[in-house]
Amino acid sequence: MLEPLLLTVRLAFFTSLILLLIGAPLGWIFARKDFRGKAVLETLLLLPLVLPPVVLGFYLLLLLGKNGPLQQWFGFSLAFTFEGVLLGLVLFNLPFALSNYREAFRGIDPTLLETARTLGAAPSRVWREVILPLAAPGLLSGTLLVFANVFGDFGVVLMIGGSLPGETQVVSIYIYELTQALKLQEANQAALVLVLISFVLMYLIRQLEARWKSVTRLATQSPSR
Amino acid sequence: MEIRYALSHPIALEVALRVQGFTVLLGESGTGKTSLLRALAGLLPAKGEPYAGLEAERRPVGYLPQQFALFPHLKSWQNVAFALGGVHPRNRGRSLEFLAIMGIADLAERYPRELSGGQQQRVALARALAREPQLLLLDEPTSALDVATREEVFGEVLERLRTLGVPTLAASHDPWLAQQADWVAVLDRRGLVQQGSGLEVFAHPANPATARLVGFRNLLPGRVEALDGEMAWVRCGEVRLRAMALPWVRVGWPVVACIRSDEVIVVRPDRLSSLPPQDNILPGRLVSLKPEGLGLRGKFVGALELDLLLPRHVQERLALEVGQTLEVALKPRYLHLMREE
Repeated sequence: MLEPLLLTVRLAFFTSLILLLIGAPLGWIFARKDFRGKAVLETLLLLPLVLPPVVLGFYLLLLLGKNGPLQQWFGFSLAFTFEGVLLGLVLFNLPFALSNYREAFRGIDPTLLETARTLGAAPSRVWREVILPLAAPGLLSGTLLVFANVFGDFGVVLMIGGSLPGETQVVSIYIYELTQALKLQEANQAALVLVLISFVLMYLIRQLEARWKSVTRLATQSPSR
Repeated sequence: MEIRYALSHPIALEVALRVQGFTVLLGESGTGKTSLLRALAGLLPAKGEPYAGLEAERRPVGYLPQQFALFPHLKSWQNVAFALGGVHPRNRGRSLEFLAIMGIADLAERYPRELSGGQQQRVALARALAREPQLLLLDEPTSALDVATREEVFGEVLERLRTLGVPTLAASHDPWLAQQADWVAVLDRRGLVQQGSGLEVFAHPANPATARLVGFRNLLPGRVEALDGEMAWVRCGEVRLRAMALPWVRVGWPVVACIRSDEVIVVRPDRLSSLPPQDNILPGRLVSLKPEGLGLRGKFVGALELDLLLPRHVQERLALEVGQTLEVALKPRYLHLMREE
């Protein structure tokens, strides 16, 4: 149980970290900038949201597997490796991260940013003291959502990584295999641990979202005196 | 302070105006008031003087947007400290001084969401003043305040701003605010159409649009029939009115004669014979009468249709009723002539 759990935590950590580094700048661009092809690019990046995980996993397997373009052009394969699974999870979770990050930035009143400039703040200070503190709860809840989502993933990991203990066998696949082998007692214990972790993560996300809403709430709703 | 600015986006606008004490830039929505303020603050590209070449963060200008834009994650003193160079305990003392100038040092530890609209405005002003600006820009400063308490709340703020002596330009379409101003500039879709003291703009608006903006409800189109020294005779429909002639008035020109509702005088029957005929006395009927505040607003129909605003003491004396006949007087010195647009 411990090995698949630690592997899942490692995958969740790196997936969240990579998506924070890629997704947050993309979220800012989609929230604040207008450019040609924005709608097409946004649709493309959000596609995994409606695509069955098995379909995404299938195409990635073709891309990363032996005789795939990766092997032919660069001479190595990522199929059935930790890195391959990580790439699949990053792509699969990109829409969740992106839509959360985009909303975190979109929720910031642009007048605050303009006013900050008129108060003498250079762009770097506006980012440090206004944008990031206001977006932080939204960015954090998006990251936690991705972290939790990795625990629940099955299709993408199975298609790209199979079930290699210590390398690609995550908790959900471990539980599936225990069930197939009729080891229901052990499967039950592992499933309970997963439920517990998911509950804690969802509770944290909910708390963060409530805090985010209270902080970014328009500051003019109370009656004037 | 003299301002000469030319904008092309989001509205084409070229203005030359003076900011003198508390100046109100009066204009209807869409005339470019907010755009001009944003350009002065460095948030919109523009050419002109002063400051046009400087980035927003380098301009010695305090800018207050309509909703005050307080940073919701910072306490009142931290909002002010932001303008002093950073949210740091070393700036707390100075922040409290600016909050004290606006009379709200006791609110230093509160977040914006814990403040009323009026209190938020004062924190935002303290923050803008912390930049020690040469010019303060206020965008619709009364629009986010409760109508019932607006005069009391902003009236006190205004007194404090006057004491500090910072030149202030407030964009507004609120006639009440314009009445408080030392200087009023009027903007319409063609640009700046008039500027002058509050009294001048309120008593002698330059055109019918400005007249409506400063509260005139009686706008009577007519034509100048004759000039007699300082006076002009104006034909409005079936009536010939006597008004003060302005230097530009010529015989035959189309004009608009305007008079404020509270300057249409209801003549007491016992005084009718003692009034001089040049006071433009018109007979007619009162067709409506509705309470407005402590007074009454009525509609007079005779040879002309006029809006009346009667103070309480006049109604107590005359006991007017809808349907009754009456005489009104339009004194020539209150009848203002404007060019027809």
